[in-house]
Amino acid sequence: MVPKISVKNLNMTYDNYTIMRNISFDVQRGEIFLIIGQSGCGKSTLLKYLLGLKQAGHQKIFYDGKDINSVINVPGFYGEKIGVLYQGGALWSSMTLAENVALPLETYTPLNRKEIEEIVILKLSLVGLKGFENFYPAQISGGMQKRAGLARAIALDPEILFFDEPSAGLDSVSAKRLDDLILELKESFGITVVIVTHDLASIFAIGTRAIYLDVESKTITAMGTPHELLASSNDKNVIAFLSRGTKIA
Amino acid sequence: MTGIAELKVKDKSTAIISIAGTWNIYEKHSHAEEFIEKILSKPSIQRVDLKFVDLKSWDSVLINFLVHILNSCESKNLTINVDDIPIGIRRLIELSKTSPVRSISSDGQKKSTILEFIGGIGLLFFFSLRTFLGFIGKLRMGITSFIGGKVKIRSQEFTVVLQEVGVKALPIVFLISFLVGLIIAFVSVLQLSQFGANIYVANLVGISMMREMGCIMAGIIMSGRTGAAFAATIGTMIVNDEVDALQTAGFSIINFLVLPRVIALTLMMPLLCVFSSFIGIFGGLCAAISATDLTIVRYCTQTAHAVHLNDFFVGIIKSCFFGFLIAAIGCQKGLQCKRSAEDVGLTTTTAVVTSITAIIIMDAIFAVIFSLIGI
Repeated sequence: MVPKISVKNLNMTYDNYTIMRNISFDVQRGEIFLIIGQSGCGKSTLLKYLLGLKQAGHQKIFYDGKDINSVINVPGFYGEKIGVLYQGGALWSSMTLAENVALPLETYTPLNRKEIEEIVILKLSLVGLKGFENFYPAQISGGMQKRAGLARAIALDPEILFFDEPSAGLDSVSAKRLDDLILELKESFGITVVIVTHDLASIFAIGTRAIYLDVESKTITAMGTPHELLASSNDKNVIAFLSRGTKIA
Repeated sequence: MTGIAELKVKDKSTAIISIAGTWNIYEKHSHAEEFIEKILSKPSIQRVDLKFVDLKSWDSVLINFLVHILNSCESKNLTINVDDIPIGIRRLIELSKTSPVRSISSDGQKKSTILEFIGGIGLLFFFSLRTFLGFIGKLRMGITSFIGGKVKIRSQEFTVVLQEVGVKALPIVFLISFLVGLIIAFVSVLQLSQFGANIYVANLVGISMMREMGCIMAGIIMSGRTGAAFAATIGTMIVNDEVDALQTAGFSIINFLVLPRVIALTLMMPLLCVFSSFIGIFGGLCAAISATDLTIVRYCTQTAHAVHLNDFFVGIIKSCFFGFLIAAIGCQKGLQCKRSAEDVGLTTTTAVVTSITAIIIMDAIFAVIFSLIGI
């Protein structure tokens, strides 16, 4: 089966600095795939490559077997194919929450005004923000902004959802609720989910598979289910990362 | 000195460093370098013992002292006895050592010579110009699509930008233009009164405001006000990932962010220019009637005689270009912003400086063109 996303021998740079080499992995349809690693190892940069916001070169990143460079400009790739939740929500500050969620619907679908309004309310309800339709991003908390960002990301029911540190800045109840929502989206819609995260609770609660980006060797040093990584990895950095709260000898 | 360390050599091969007293960052203390120097100057020393005698209190300076000693001894393969180091200090030293060393390989970091530096500036200018022209090319495509009806801009957003760059700019344009007109008139009166030619104050103020000062003053004000605001807004959107979010939602940055701003300012600048010109003439009138025996009617009649329709259109045409330039530069600089608050400030400053420079250069080009075609 063709992987939903495939990365082959990707070298990542940032301002002329090489930060990761020979990154290769596959993301299968319907899985919750985690990209983990220490701060500054390049997780968010990898996300930018996957999203096409940074040029990866040819034959490096594939979506459904097709080179990203050939699909990125196809109408519907962004929005319909992929949705993204950024670290801070990245809501468009000049628009209300309803307008933020409605904009992709207005632009890409033939739905009428009433239908769009109903879908907007539905999406905001899913993230627990019903009643906040007319609030501007500056009028709500950071956690609520993140949830509204998720409502916008799922506005067009994308095939793949990317999350950049979804639980950062959220209290444990909200983080749990977000994890549940991610699982629900995966189960109900068969969405493939790619998450960049540090959050151990989320890693073990929802992750199907994970890769560990190692800051010292500048490449992937472990791949598997989170429990496999913890149980069988020989890499001291992976074990240290996944066993916070336990002293590493 | 309250943080004291003493060095003794035992059996020629063992150095003993005795550490005592209060080691904190606010008081004088021994420095590791002198001990390292003494130890390394005696090749017979093969072992270093650290002894803690009456250590009262300590903070980071002691850790720093010990890390220096330990690293130097390790690098020279000297045996070091750390058994006497208090457990708390030892833990912190171990923690500092377990922090991963990150080697970042750069593809091009070296010291440059003066010639390379000058060449670098030239290349920077060339690449900046190329980037800007590339941006203008994308903008042209956006404008063509907009005119052809393929691209729509959000009316709500556009109305807000129009209001921001138009109506809300009127008070500052009024103030500056009035004062500029006033100043031109006063300076003119001082000179022309010597020849009994006060009436020509109206000519000077009228023509200079209509042809040059109206559009230039409006341009400079809009560079500092609106161009800076565009750069800061878009820069902040980059910092907050809003621009990435637009891209990954499938929206064209040019059509969504740049086009409404460029169209709004290009449309509003001629109006602001006309407003600025008339307010400048009004300022000149106030100065002239208060400083000379000219009447309002004489001043206005003389202005109407002096200023031709050509002068009026010269100002209008220039202001359209200025508006386009200011908005394009503000947006382009904003989009070049990196992801820090400091960079937003830097971007804003660059946008203002570049816009004002571009306006002056563009004005000079227009002056040559208009003189060649005799307008």
